[in-house]
Amino acid sequence: MISKIFFNLLQVIVVMAFSPLVKGILSRLEAMVQSKRGPGILQPYRDIWKLLHKEEVVSEQTSWIFRFTPYVVFVTPIFVTLLIPVLTNYPLFFAFMGDMLGGGFILALGGFFATIAAIDTGNPYGPMGASRTRMVGFLAEPVFMIVFFTVSFVAGSTIPYIVQEAWVTPLSNFFEPSHVLVMLAFFMLIIAEAGRLPVDNPSGHFELAMIDESKTLEYSGRGAALMKWGSAMKFFVLLCIFLNVLVSPWGLARGEGLLEVFIAVPLVLIKIFVFILFLVIIESSIAKLRLFRIPEFLGAAFITSIAAMIMYFF
Amino acid sequence: MGLLFILVIPLAAAAFSLVHADRRFAPAITIAGALAVLILALKTAFMVIKTGEIVAIADWVSCNSLSALILLLVAFVALTSAVFSWGYIEGHTGSDRVKKMQRYYSRFNLFVFSMLAVVLFSQLALVWVAVELTTLMSVFLVSFENTRQALEAAWKYVVLTCMGAAFALIGILLLYWAMKSAGGKTFTWEELTTVSQGINPGILKTAFIFILVGFGTKVGLVPMHTWLPDAHSQAPSPVCALLSGVETTTILYVILRLLPVLEVSPSIHSGEWFLVSGLVSVGAAAFLLIQVKDYKRLFAFSTVEHMGIIMVAVGLGGPAAHLGATYQILSHSITKSLCFFAAGSTLLIAGTREISSVRGLIRTSPIAGGAFLIGGLAIAGAPPFAVFLSEFSILRAGIAGGHYIAITLLGIFILMAFAAVMFHVNRMVFGMPPEDAVRTVLPKTVVISLTMALVPVIVLGLYIPDSLYELLRLAAASLGR
Amino acid sequence: MTISSLTQLNALTGGLFLLSTFGIIAMRQVLGCLKMFILQSVFLAISALLLGYLHLSIHLFAVAAITLMVKPVLIPYLLRQTVGSEVTARREISQLINIPTSLLIAVGLTILSYFVAKPLLSVSGAAGTVTDVNLPIGIACLLLGAYTVTVRREAMPQIIGILTMENGAFFAGISIAPDLPLIAELSAAFDVLVIALVMGILTRKIHERIGSTTVSDLKTLKEV
Repeated sequence: MISKIFFNLLQVIVVMAFSPLVKGILSRLEAMVQSKRGPGILQPYRDIWKLLHKEEVVSEQTSWIFRFTPYVVFVTPIFVTLLIPVLTNYPLFFAFMGDMLGGGFILALGGFFATIAAIDTGNPYGPMGASRTRMVGFLAEPVFMIVFFTVSFVAGSTIPYIVQEAWVTPLSNFFEPSHVLVMLAFFMLIIAEAGRLPVDNPSGHFELAMIDESKTLEYSGRGAALMKWGSAMKFFVLLCIFLNVLVSPWGLARGEGLLEVFIAVPLVLIKIFVFILFLVIIESSIAKLRLFRIPEFLGAAFITSIAAMIMYFF
Repeated sequence: MGLLFILVIPLAAAAFSLVHADRRFAPAITIAGALAVLILALKTAFMVIKTGEIVAIADWVSCNSLSALILLLVAFVALTSAVFSWGYIEGHTGSDRVKKMQRYYSRFNLFVFSMLAVVLFSQLALVWVAVELTTLMSVFLVSFENTRQALEAAWKYVVLTCMGAAFALIGILLLYWAMKSAGGKTFTWEELTTVSQGINPGILKTAFIFILVGFGTKVGLVPMHTWLPDAHSQAPSPVCALLSGVETTTILYVILRLLPVLEVSPSIHSGEWFLVSGLVSVGAAAFLLIQVKDYKRLFAFSTVEHMGIIMVAVGLGGPAAHLGATYQILSHSITKSLCFFAAGSTLLIAGTREISSVRGLIRTSPIAGGAFLIGGLAIAGAPPFAVFLSEFSILRAGIAGGHYIAITLLGIFILMAFAAVMFHVNRMVFGMPPEDAVRTVLPKTVVISLTMALVPVIVLGLYIPDSLYELLRLAAASLGR
Repeated sequence: MTISSLTQLNALTGGLFLLSTFGIIAMRQVLGCLKMFILQSVFLAISALLLGYLHLSIHLFAVAAITLMVKPVLIPYLLRQTVGSEVTARREISQLINIPTSLLIAVGLTILSYFVAKPLLSVSGAAGTVTDVNLPIGIACLLLGAYTVTVRREAMPQIIGILTMENGAFFAGISIAPDLPLIAELSAAFDVLVIALVMGILTRKIHERIGSTTVSDLKTLKEV
């Protein structure tokens, strides 16, 4: 019992500690692909540290929502971390609180607050980004639902710990067409949700073209740090759901030994690193879509998930 | 061996047509080839009447009574339109005319080859390939004039018929599947009939519908007919005669040969399918015939109508209706080719395809006008021509079979079509010609081929030779079980 | 490899085959369509290979080899040669129904084809075998190809649509008719090649004559 609570807290610590690193590695790799030197992989830590020590300026026009939002954005991924398998392949202490749908709702709550906070500022770019995020969100929702339904039909459950095993027992299930298609659909979903290319350019600094970034433009100091950290954690959590639940539970600790769980930390990080390499290759080979082409991208994801469902049912 | 020669001769003629020689060489070799094929086809037909099905290569090439009938028609129309081409195509080629003519005749021969192959192959997969080839080999014949309209017609033709062929392909593969599970070995018409008792009706029905839609596109059944008036009006007239006169019936032959297999299982309701699709085609064509502005389109829609009539006849079922169907195939092919030759001659004289700008054809050119009049009367179904007799026998068979509603509809549509065709033909042939009309002399070969086509149209309405009747009867018998 | 894992691998190939067919509908660029077609043909060959291994049939290996030679290599080469780079390099394809709606219709067609295939599978006793995957996906691909031909306005995607239809028929064919005579198989491959050639040349003629390959603008021939 105690160890389960400890491991659960350990998961949270791992997510908090390593999520900026993942972002740092990602941007460094991207710079390298573009033949630039790029910032060091520890740059996100430095940014967060610097921002935490700066004075926070809040516009007088804003309401409490604006000030409250960074905490929501920061806390929601942590809640989700408690529910999903990050290090272990068996449920931990708090995992009973929610299934995958619950996790999705909690993450959506963070997104919701970020959106209304962006509108709250009165800055013209904020609502623009917010409305675009909502557009992507609305279109991503059906895909998420279909993926979720397919997955839970296959496993007969909505608990991530049961789902992850269904795909690899027996191993040939991994190559089940519906599994491959679900992975593909969810991968496209992650790209859309995390604001990566080709949906959004995370390294762009042109406000008119931003989708995700423009929502945090008004924040400074501690608020900005929390928003940044929160979004890094959200990305990390999405990757964990994708890699550990949908792709395969390889590398997760199976026993309850302390050592085993500690070994799982580098293994999971390696998995994420491999995935990031893959992501960078994809991102550097395609261009950003025009805004009105995004529905087509998500439409493709939707079709993929539907195809997965059809293939499973018939 | 005769069957193999029938296949080889057009191929050889296609190759020889490309030889650089005198500009008369390509048409001459084509006509010689077509004549040889016709003689061989006649010989084959007589042998079929005498001994039944001929097999040249077991499981691959064979010829039964229905094939022999179509073979004969293809050979005949190929000969007349080769003769017609001689005088017609020369007027339609530009500066590089020898080269263009060589290519025309080469493709002409290949097209004839593909149609002969459809009827002579007994392996269904190869039949499909041959059907697809009939499209592919005739595309550039349709676009021969290289005008905007001709290219448009060719594009529609190739796209729609290739789509149809893909549907038919899956139908044929399903048929193979059904045949295999019924214990069949080789995928031939004969084997298919042999094992038809054991074929699963569910799969057979799906296969049949795919094939009906797929090949029905090529036959020109409504609503898949949209390419037909375009392609059959834009192609040069001798090609139109082939396309409209025999290509459609050749493809229809493939559907008809499935009939004995389909009739085994009544749950497929193949008769109803034939009847309904036929009536829809006849009806739509009858209405469309009223409003045509282009006399080649007039004859093209009349083809749609006739295909529909054949489908109805087949759908009625029974020996009498089947005999009517084969008779209709015969009369349609010979009459429609005459019609397109007449239309081609008219085009040479008037220089336009519009019905409204042709007046008093019989005064400007008695030969073209006369042929046009006879062709129009014959194709519309006026007595005493062959089409009248065949349509009449179909109607009679239907009444005898008790299909009153279908026959009433068919009768109304046929009368409408008759009135529409006669209205347009009458306007063109009679009346005063425009002031500036000049009397043009038709090329000799055109006149010869008009006469050649005219003879059977007139003769067959009055008298059918016994051997031909026997062939029709055998072909009709092969449609039933 | 065991039969079940082969069946599963074939199912995966089938899924990717279907996905690449969706890709043909979703692609805006002509070249993208062509690439998707190449991918699709490769999956067709892979499926033939897997089924050949499953039935231990040399014949299907030959089919796979023919497919691999003709469809992903020769046909794109021929199309590029005959149509010319100006047409193939065209970026945006115009079509009558926009792409997201098209994709939804495509899903509907796929489900429809499963409904068509389902009774056939159950009456034939082939349920649970590779035909389970190949027949419905083949029919789906046929319908999707027909849909592509119908909605696309440019010549090249229409050609690709027709080739897709043939691919779909063949995909069903390798499972329901695995032992067709090799001559038939060869002549069918030849036939597909001729389709590509003829339509390619016709496209070039249209391009030379009319100056555009938007074939749906060709509307001079119609009634009234």
